[in-house]
Amino acid sequence: MSLLARAARFLLGALFLWASVTKVPDMAAFAESVANYRIVPPSLVPVVAAALVGMEIASGVALVLNVWARAAALLLATLLAVFTVGLASALARGIDLACGCFGGNDAATWWTVLRDLVLLVWALGVAASSRPDPARAP
Amino acid sequence: MNTVTQMALVAAVGSALGLAANAFSPHPAALRQPVLSAAESGGGACAMPASAAPSTSAPPPWRPVRIGVEEAKGLCTACLAGFVDARGPHEFAHGHIQNAVHLPPAGHPDEAAVVAQLRTYPLVVVYDGDYSCAVADDVAGRLRRAGLTDVRVLQGAWPAWVAGQGPSAAGICGACGPEAFGK
Repeated sequence: MSLLARAARFLLGALFLWASVTKVPDMAAFAESVANYRIVPPSLVPVVAAALVGMEIASGVALVLNVWARAAALLLATLLAVFTVGLASALARGIDLACGCFGGNDAATWWTVLRDLVLLVWALGVAASSRPDPARAP
Repeated sequence: MNTVTQMALVAAVGSALGLAANAFSPHPAALRQPVLSAAESGGGACAMPASAAPSTSAPPPWRPVRIGVEEAKGLCTACLAGFVDARGPHEFAHGHIQNAVHLPPAGHPDEAAVVAQLRTYPLVVVYDGDYSCAVADDVAGRLRRAGLTDVRVLQGAWPAWVAGQGPSAAGICGACGPEAFGK
Protein backbone atom coordinates (compact mmCIF):
# COMPACT_ATOMS: atom_id res chain seq x y z
CA MET A 1 0.00 0.00 0.00
CA SER A 2 1.38 3.36 -1.00
CA LEU A 3 1.98 6.17 1.43
CA LEU A 4 -0.92 8.07 -0.08
CA ALA A 5 -3.27 5.14 0.38
CA ARG A 6 -2.14 4.69 3.97
CA ALA A 7 -2.65 8.38 4.66
CA ALA A 8 -6.11 8.27 3.07
CA ARG A 9 -7.06 5.28 5.21
CA PHE A 10 -5.75 6.82 8.40
CA LEU A 11 -7.36 10.22 7.76
CA LEU A 12 -10.71 8.66 6.86
CA GLY A 13 -10.64 6.66 10.08
CA ALA A 14 -9.62 9.67 12.14
CA LEU A 15 -12.32 11.79 10.52
CA PHE A 16 -15.09 9.34 11.34
CA LEU A 17 -13.70 8.70 14.78
CA TRP A 18 -13.87 12.42 15.44
CA ALA A 19 -17.32 12.73 13.84
CA SER A 20 -18.69 9.95 16.00
CA VAL A 21 -17.06 11.05 19.24
CA THR A 22 -18.57 14.55 18.88
CA LYS A 23 -22.02 12.96 18.85
CA VAL A 24 -21.63 10.98 22.05
CA PRO A 25 -22.10 13.93 24.47
CA ASP A 26 -25.61 14.52 23.11
CA MET A 27 -26.98 11.31 21.71
CA ALA A 28 -30.54 12.56 22.20
CA ALA A 29 -29.90 15.42 19.78
CA PHE A 30 -28.41 13.04 17.25
CA ALA A 31 -31.48 10.82 17.57
CA GLU A 32 -33.62 13.86 16.74
CA SER A 33 -31.47 14.49 13.69
CA VAL A 34 -31.98 10.89 12.58
CA ALA A 35 -35.73 11.23 13.17
CA ASN A 36 -35.87 14.34 11.02
CA TYR A 37 -34.76 12.34 7.99
CA ARG A 38 -38.09 10.53 8.35
CA ILE A 39 -36.68 7.28 7.06
CA VAL A 40 -36.47 5.23 10.24
CA PRO A 41 -39.65 4.33 12.19
CA PRO A 42 -39.85 6.54 15.32
CA SER A 43 -39.68 3.56 17.67
CA LEU A 44 -36.38 2.45 16.14
CA VAL A 45 -34.78 5.89 15.92
CA PRO A 46 -32.93 5.87 19.29
CA VAL A 47 -31.46 2.41 18.72
CA VAL A 48 -30.52 3.16 15.12
CA ALA A 49 -28.92 6.46 16.16
CA ALA A 50 -26.84 4.77 18.86
CA ALA A 51 -25.87 1.97 16.49
CA LEU A 52 -24.83 4.44 13.79
CA VAL A 53 -22.53 6.26 16.17
CA GLY A 54 -21.06 2.96 17.33
CA MET A 55 -20.49 1.75 13.78
CA GLU A 56 -18.70 4.98 12.98
CA ILE A 57 -16.51 4.55 16.04
CA ALA A 58 -15.74 0.91 15.25
CA SER A 59 -15.02 1.64 11.60
CA GLY A 60 -12.87 4.63 12.52
CA VAL A 61 -10.80 2.58 14.95
CA ALA A 62 -10.45 -0.24 12.44
CA LEU A 63 -9.22 2.14 9.75
CA VAL A 64 -6.79 3.95 12.03
CA LEU A 65 -5.36 0.66 13.29
CA ASN A 66 -5.53 -0.96 9.83
CA VAL A 67 -7.49 -3.91 11.14
CA TRP A 68 -10.13 -5.17 8.70
CA ALA A 69 -9.69 -1.82 6.96
CA ARG A 70 -11.38 -2.95 3.76
CA ALA A 71 -14.48 -4.09 5.64
CA ALA A 72 -14.53 -0.92 7.73
CA ALA A 73 -14.21 1.28 4.66
CA LEU A 74 -16.99 -0.62 2.90
CA LEU A 75 -19.19 -0.31 5.97
CA LEU A 76 -18.57 3.44 6.04
CA ALA A 77 -19.28 3.62 2.32
CA THR A 78 -22.57 1.83 2.91
CA LEU A 79 -23.48 4.24 5.71
CA LEU A 80 -22.49 7.21 3.59
CA ALA A 81 -24.59 5.95 0.71
CA VAL A 82 -27.59 5.67 3.05
CA PHE A 83 -26.91 9.13 4.51
CA THR A 84 -26.55 10.65 1.06
CA VAL A 85 -29.73 9.11 -0.31
CA GLY A 86 -31.63 10.04 2.84
CA LEU A 87 -30.34 13.59 2.80
CA ALA A 88 -31.00 14.09 -0.90
CA SER A 89 -34.45 12.59 -0.49
CA ALA A 90 -35.24 14.93 2.41
CA LEU A 91 -33.99 17.99 0.56
CA ALA A 92 -35.89 17.00 -2.56
CA ARG A 93 -39.04 16.72 -0.44
CA GLY A 94 -38.47 20.21 0.89
CA ILE A 95 -37.64 19.01 4.39
CA ASP A 96 -35.20 21.39 6.03
CA LEU A 97 -33.21 19.48 8.55
CA ALA A 98 -30.00 19.56 10.48
CA CYS A 99 -27.45 17.19 9.05
CA GLY A 100 -26.53 15.74 12.42
CA CYS A 101 -22.99 15.41 11.14
CA PHE A 102 -20.02 16.03 13.39
CA GLY A 103 -22.28 16.67 16.38
CA GLY A 104 -23.40 20.02 14.99
CA ASN A 105 -26.80 21.46 14.32
CA ASP A 106 -26.08 23.08 10.98
CA ALA A 107 -28.81 22.96 8.39
CA ALA A 108 -28.22 20.41 5.65
CA THR A 109 -27.90 21.69 2.10
CA TRP A 110 -26.99 20.26 -1.26
CA TRP A 111 -23.40 21.10 -0.35
CA THR A 112 -23.78 18.57 2.47
CA VAL A 113 -24.88 16.00 -0.09
CA LEU A 114 -21.85 16.83 -2.21
CA ARG A 115 -19.56 16.48 0.81
CA ASP A 116 -21.08 13.08 1.59
CA LEU A 117 -20.51 12.01 -2.00
CA VAL A 118 -16.86 13.03 -1.74
CA LEU A 119 -16.55 11.04 1.48
CA LEU A 120 -18.27 8.10 -0.20
CA VAL A 121 -15.77 8.11 -3.05
CA TRP A 122 -12.97 8.46 -0.51
CA ALA A 123 -14.22 5.44 1.45
CA LEU A 124 -14.58 3.36 -1.72
CA GLY A 125 -11.05 4.35 -2.70
CA VAL A 126 -9.73 3.23 0.66
CA ALA A 127 -11.64 -0.05 0.36
CA ALA A 128 -10.21 -0.65 -3.10
CA SER A 129 -6.67 0.02 -1.95
CA SER A 130 -6.92 -2.17 1.15
CA ARG A 131 -6.18 -5.86 1.10
CA PRO A 132 -9.28 -8.05 1.48
CA ASP A 133 -7.91 -10.04 4.38
CA PRO A 134 -4.28 -10.23 5.55
CA ALA A 135 -4.71 -13.89 6.43
CA ARG A 136 -5.60 -14.73 2.82
CA ALA A 137 -2.99 -12.57 1.21
CA PRO A 138 -0.24 -14.45 -0.60
CA MET B 1 -12.92 -14.65 6.93
CA ASN B 2 -14.39 -12.80 3.97
CA THR B 3 -15.01 -9.08 3.76
CA VAL B 4 -18.77 -9.32 4.14
CA THR B 5 -18.43 -11.27 7.37
CA GLN B 6 -15.92 -8.74 8.63
CA MET B 7 -18.32 -5.92 7.76
CA ALA B 8 -21.09 -7.65 9.67
CA LEU B 9 -18.81 -8.11 12.66
CA VAL B 10 -17.68 -4.47 12.61
CA ALA B 11 -21.33 -3.41 12.37
CA ALA B 12 -22.35 -5.69 15.22
CA VAL B 13 -19.49 -4.68 17.48
CA GLY B 14 -20.06 -1.04 16.54
CA SER B 15 -23.77 -1.26 17.34
CA ALA B 16 -23.00 -2.71 20.76
CA LEU B 17 -20.39 -0.02 21.26
CA GLY B 18 -22.89 2.65 20.28
CA LEU B 19 -25.46 1.38 22.74
CA ALA B 20 -22.80 1.36 25.45
CA ALA B 21 -21.74 4.90 24.50
CA ASN B 22 -25.37 5.97 24.69
CA ALA B 23 -25.60 4.58 28.21
CA PHE B 24 -22.65 6.71 29.29
CA SER B 25 -23.68 9.83 27.35
CA PRO B 26 -24.61 12.88 29.45
CA HIS B 27 -27.67 13.26 27.21
CA PRO B 28 -28.54 9.75 26.08
CA ALA B 29 -31.24 8.88 23.60
CA ALA B 30 -34.13 7.20 25.41
CA LEU B 31 -34.04 3.80 23.74
CA ARG B 32 -37.58 2.82 24.66
CA GLN B 33 -39.19 6.07 23.62
CA PRO B 34 -40.07 6.72 19.99
CA VAL B 35 -38.46 9.86 18.58
CA LEU B 36 -40.65 11.77 16.17
CA SER B 37 -39.31 14.19 13.61
CA ALA B 38 -39.76 17.89 14.34
CA ALA B 39 -42.47 18.06 11.71
CA GLU B 40 -44.37 15.09 13.11
CA SER B 41 -44.13 16.23 16.70
CA GLY B 42 -44.70 19.89 15.95
CA GLY B 43 -41.81 20.61 18.22
CA GLY B 44 -38.59 18.66 18.37
CA ALA B 45 -35.64 20.93 18.86
CA CYS B 46 -37.98 23.83 18.21
CA ALA B 47 -39.81 23.28 21.46
CA MET B 48 -38.89 25.36 24.46
CA PRO B 49 -36.67 23.40 26.81
CA ALA B 50 -38.32 22.52 30.09
CA SER B 51 -35.35 23.81 32.03
CA ALA B 52 -35.31 27.20 30.37
CA ALA B 53 -35.45 29.09 33.65
CA PRO B 54 -32.15 30.81 34.40
CA SER B 55 -30.34 29.98 37.59
CA THR B 56 -29.44 33.55 38.43
CA SER B 57 -31.71 36.11 40.04
CA ALA B 58 -31.54 38.37 36.98
CA PRO B 59 -34.82 38.77 35.10
CA PRO B 60 -35.12 36.16 32.40
CA PRO B 61 -34.57 37.37 28.84
CA TRP B 62 -37.61 37.43 26.63
CA ARG B 63 -37.95 34.28 24.64
CA PRO B 64 -40.48 33.75 21.90
CA VAL B 65 -43.45 31.62 22.85
CA ARG B 66 -44.04 28.65 20.59
CA ILE B 67 -47.29 28.00 18.82
CA GLY B 68 -48.35 24.65 17.40
CA VAL B 69 -49.31 24.12 13.79
CA GLU B 70 -52.92 23.25 14.52
CA GLU B 71 -53.48 26.42 16.55
CA ALA B 72 -51.68 28.50 13.94
CA LYS B 73 -53.80 26.98 11.17
CA GLY B 74 -56.94 27.99 13.02
CA LEU B 75 -55.67 31.54 13.42
CA CYS B 76 -54.73 31.69 9.77
CA THR B 77 -58.10 30.55 8.48
CA ALA B 78 -59.83 32.91 10.94
CA CYS B 79 -57.54 35.77 9.85
CA LEU B 80 -56.55 36.36 13.45
CA ALA B 81 -52.79 36.29 13.03
CA GLY B 82 -50.16 37.78 10.78
CA PHE B 83 -47.52 35.41 9.52
CA VAL B 84 -43.89 36.28 8.97
CA ASP B 85 -41.63 34.14 6.82
CA ALA B 86 -38.03 34.46 7.99
CA ARG B 87 -36.51 32.16 5.38
CA GLY B 88 -34.47 33.10 2.36
CA PRO B 89 -36.02 34.69 -0.73
CA HIS B 90 -35.81 31.54 -2.83
CA GLU B 91 -37.50 29.43 -0.19
CA PHE B 92 -40.16 32.09 0.23
CA ALA B 93 -40.76 32.23 -3.51
CA HIS B 94 -41.05 28.45 -3.66
CA GLY B 95 -43.87 28.37 -1.16
CA HIS B 96 -45.00 30.05 2.03
CA ILE B 97 -47.92 30.38 4.37
CA GLN B 98 -50.70 32.22 2.60
CA ASN B 99 -50.27 35.98 2.90
CA ALA B 100 -47.14 35.65 4.99
CA VAL B 101 -44.85 38.67 4.94
CA HIS B 102 -41.27 37.99 3.96
CA LEU B 103 -39.00 39.36 6.65
CA PRO B 104 -35.53 37.80 6.51
CA PRO B 105 -33.01 38.30 9.32
CA ALA B 106 -31.10 40.83 7.21
CA GLY B 107 -34.12 43.09 7.27
CA HIS B 108 -36.77 44.37 4.88
CA PRO B 109 -36.32 47.40 2.59
CA ASP B 110 -39.46 48.88 4.07
CA GLU B 111 -39.40 47.36 7.49
CA ALA B 112 -41.43 50.14 9.13
CA ALA B 113 -44.30 49.50 6.74
CA VAL B 114 -44.11 45.77 7.36
CA VAL B 115 -44.19 46.26 11.12
CA ALA B 116 -47.10 48.67 10.77
CA GLN B 117 -48.94 46.08 8.72
CA LEU B 118 -48.27 43.42 11.34
CA ARG B 119 -49.57 45.71 14.08
CA THR B 120 -53.06 45.26 12.66
CA TYR B 121 -53.04 41.70 13.94
CA PRO B 122 -53.50 40.78 17.59
CA LEU B 123 -50.87 38.07 17.18
CA VAL B 124 -47.92 37.51 14.87
CA VAL B 125 -46.48 34.10 14.06
CA VAL B 126 -42.91 33.87 12.78
CA TYR B 127 -41.52 30.80 11.11
CA ASP B 128 -38.38 29.72 9.31
CA GLY B 129 -37.22 26.57 7.57
CA ASP B 130 -34.89 25.26 10.23
CA TYR B 131 -36.32 22.94 12.80
CA SER B 132 -34.19 24.63 15.46
CA CYS B 133 -36.14 27.87 14.80
CA ALA B 134 -33.03 29.96 15.44
CA VAL B 135 -33.69 32.39 12.60
CA ALA B 136 -37.36 32.75 13.51
CA ASP B 137 -36.34 33.43 17.10
CA ASP B 138 -34.10 36.27 15.91
CA VAL B 139 -36.78 37.84 13.77
CA ALA B 140 -39.37 37.40 16.51
CA GLY B 141 -37.06 39.19 18.92
CA ARG B 142 -36.68 42.02 16.43
CA LEU B 143 -40.43 42.39 16.06
CA ARG B 144 -40.80 42.31 19.80
CA ARG B 145 -38.29 45.13 20.14
CA ALA B 146 -40.21 47.01 17.46
CA GLY B 147 -43.16 47.05 19.82
CA LEU B 148 -45.27 44.06 18.78
CA THR B 149 -46.55 42.50 21.96
CA ASP B 150 -47.67 39.02 21.01
CA VAL B 151 -45.07 37.39 18.78
CA ARG B 152 -44.82 33.62 18.62
CA VAL B 153 -42.68 31.15 16.74
CA LEU B 154 -44.15 28.24 14.83
CA GLN B 155 -43.17 24.90 16.31
CA GLY B 156 -41.50 22.66 13.78
CA ALA B 157 -41.09 25.54 11.34
CA TRP B 158 -42.10 25.33 7.66
CA PRO B 159 -41.72 21.52 7.45
CA ALA B 160 -44.31 21.14 10.21
CA TRP B 161 -46.67 23.48 8.38
CA VAL B 162 -46.31 21.48 5.18
CA ALA B 163 -46.71 18.19 7.03
CA GLY B 164 -49.76 19.57 8.78
CA GLN B 165 -51.22 20.65 5.43
CA GLY B 166 -51.55 24.23 6.56
CA PRO B 167 -52.78 26.84 4.09
CA SER B 168 -49.89 27.77 1.86
CA ALA B 169 -49.52 30.10 -1.08
CA ALA B 170 -51.62 27.63 -3.04
CA GLY B 171 -53.83 26.86 -0.07
CA ILE B 172 -57.22 27.94 1.15
CA CYS B 173 -56.41 31.05 3.15
CA GLY B 174 -56.89 33.53 0.33
CA ALA B 175 -59.13 35.85 2.34
CA CYS B 176 -56.54 36.19 5.05
CA GLY B 177 -54.74 39.52 4.98
CA PRO B 178 -54.28 42.72 6.87
CA GLU B 179 -57.06 44.42 4.99
CA ALA B 180 -59.43 41.61 5.90
CA PHE B 181 -58.69 42.01 9.56
CA GLY B 182 -58.74 45.78 9.45
CA LYS B 183 -62.27 45.96 8.16
